[in-house]
Amino acid sequence: MELYKYLPKTNCKECGMPTCMAFSLALLQGKAKVDDCPPLLKPKYKKQYEKLKELLGSEEGQEKELRINVDEDLCDGCGICVTICPVNARYCPPSLSGKAPEYPPEKHQLFQVIDGKCELLNLEYCRRLESEGRERECHVCETYCPREAIKIEYV
Amino acid sequence: MKRYPCSGCSLLCDDIIVKSDGLFIEEVIGACLKGKERFDQVNAQNRITSPMIRKNNELVNASWEEALAKTVEIIKNSSAPLLYGFSNVTCEAQRAGMDLAKEINGFIDSNASICQGKILNKARSQGINLTTITEIINKVDLIILWGANPAETIPRLLNKILFSRGKFRMTGREIKTLVIIDPVKTASFRVMGVRDLALIIQPDKDIELIQMLKEECCSADSIPSGGVAGIDKSDLKRLLLHLTGAENGVIILGQGVIQPHANYDLIEELLDLLQLINTRQAKGRISLLLLGGHFNMAGFDHVALSSYGVSGKLQFENKKLVKSEDTIVSKINKENFDCSIIVGTDPISHLPHSLSSKLSKKPLILIDNHNSATSRIADVVLPTAITGIESSGLAYRIDQVPVELKKILNPPNNIPSDEELLNQLIEKLNGGAK
Repeated sequence: MELYKYLPKTNCKECGMPTCMAFSLALLQGKAKVDDCPPLLKPKYKKQYEKLKELLGSEEGQEKELRINVDEDLCDGCGICVTICPVNARYCPPSLSGKAPEYPPEKHQLFQVIDGKCELLNLEYCRRLESEGRERECHVCETYCPREAIKIEYV
Repeated sequence: MKRYPCSGCSLLCDDIIVKSDGLFIEEVIGACLKGKERFDQVNAQNRITSPMIRKNNELVNASWEEALAKTVEIIKNSSAPLLYGFSNVTCEAQRAGMDLAKEINGFIDSNASICQGKILNKARSQGINLTTITEIINKVDLIILWGANPAETIPRLLNKILFSRGKFRMTGREIKTLVIIDPVKTASFRVMGVRDLALIIQPDKDIELIQMLKEECCSADSIPSGGVAGIDKSDLKRLLLHLTGAENGVIILGQGVIQPHANYDLIEELLDLLQLINTRQAKGRISLLLLGGHFNMAGFDHVALSSYGVSGKLQFENKKLVKSEDTIVSKINKENFDCSIIVGTDPISHLPHSLSSKLSKKPLILIDNHNSATSRIADVVLPTAITGIESSGLAYRIDQVPVELKKILNPPNNIPSDEELLNQLIEKLNGGAK
């Protein structure tokens, strides 16, 4: 709704959507960009345009550059991240009971302990990128690492 | 891919994947840093690959015959030999060590007697339940770490018992409550969630907490308002609720509670408390798990019990078992020995200086696979293969479950395993007598 406030609210349909409300929803889901709305580019709406860019800019940046850093010096390969990661638990049955997952690793597997150090395999399957709703806020690996070696960052 | 057991610590994880071409180990998957270090020992710089004897106050490489002859000479010249160690060897080697002790009328003891063996024997005599790792994974809903820091000593333990999901504990971490009782905030505290209970106790005040819990076991109303041993009242109330309300609890005892006290026996009081809770508790029970360091710490007691009917130390005279009140500490302290055979351990750096200096005065034979403080003062050093990598055998896990260790590589220079070497020594001693 906050996005809708800053739109022209003229329902001109120039963006291809039936109403400005529909366009604001598309903005929220990342299906449309602010520049897709031609009236907003006019000098009349300059302030609103900048405000919208500011609001959306931070969120767009977050989605693109998620990084999970594993500090090799701190990690002692306890494998808690392997067991606790919900994606690992869903796709690698051995890790459910605390065992080491199969090798070579599964397609969706996130973490694996190799040579006594934890290694991040496929970041693209992480819940923070794949899921929707509250699951996007998942940070169990960072919370439960006893050595504080895992850091979730947005660079 | 084939999975091997790891001999890095007493957890003996049996799910380690080892990529090897039969000559070298390329990659170890699933093992923690401690296990990885164990596999790295094969090519470590401080590995001993040939026997050494002391000549003119200097250790020099020698042939096997020379070294074994010197060993036999030292043993024959002594009347009260001391055999110590046996925690980093297989059960078969422990049995061979006992046979050797019987042959030479010696005193044999393991690291367990100054470590977790004390609690084990007391718990057995009092009838306390010991539990297994599988049972913890499948059933436990309360885990109490008392004086233990497994996040740093046995890295994969918390992963296996706290975070894993079992048959009756499908939600894993969420359903298990963790209580840590420790005087310092260790690394294990970092895995705690909101429902867990962190108790920072004042050092050496464990006894006050135990006595309070014993008194208040049935009613949580009369807890002193100021708290006990640095823990406040509300936390004590929660601890009591957890202890009496758990379906399946486990208390994990670490090195923090085994040190002796002058006026009281902490372990006995703790076991009494456990028994009291178990009789009062309506719902379930609390059991015990002991944390040991060396990979076969629990094995010695089992082997001694099954072959001689005594758990722990054995004293032989005239090739027969005799009763003895001595322990390894009192033996060294009274200097009641005239040569020592150390197997797979490093007493010179583990024991206090007052004891290690006495140990170093007498002839010392070391059977081990890497250089240590003990190997520097030893008179004879006999190298052996690394158990679990270069030789196979049986070992007991921390929860007293036997695990079969497997052979992956061949040892360098055809070094014998601990068991073969000890049997060779017995043969040599017998051969000389005939």
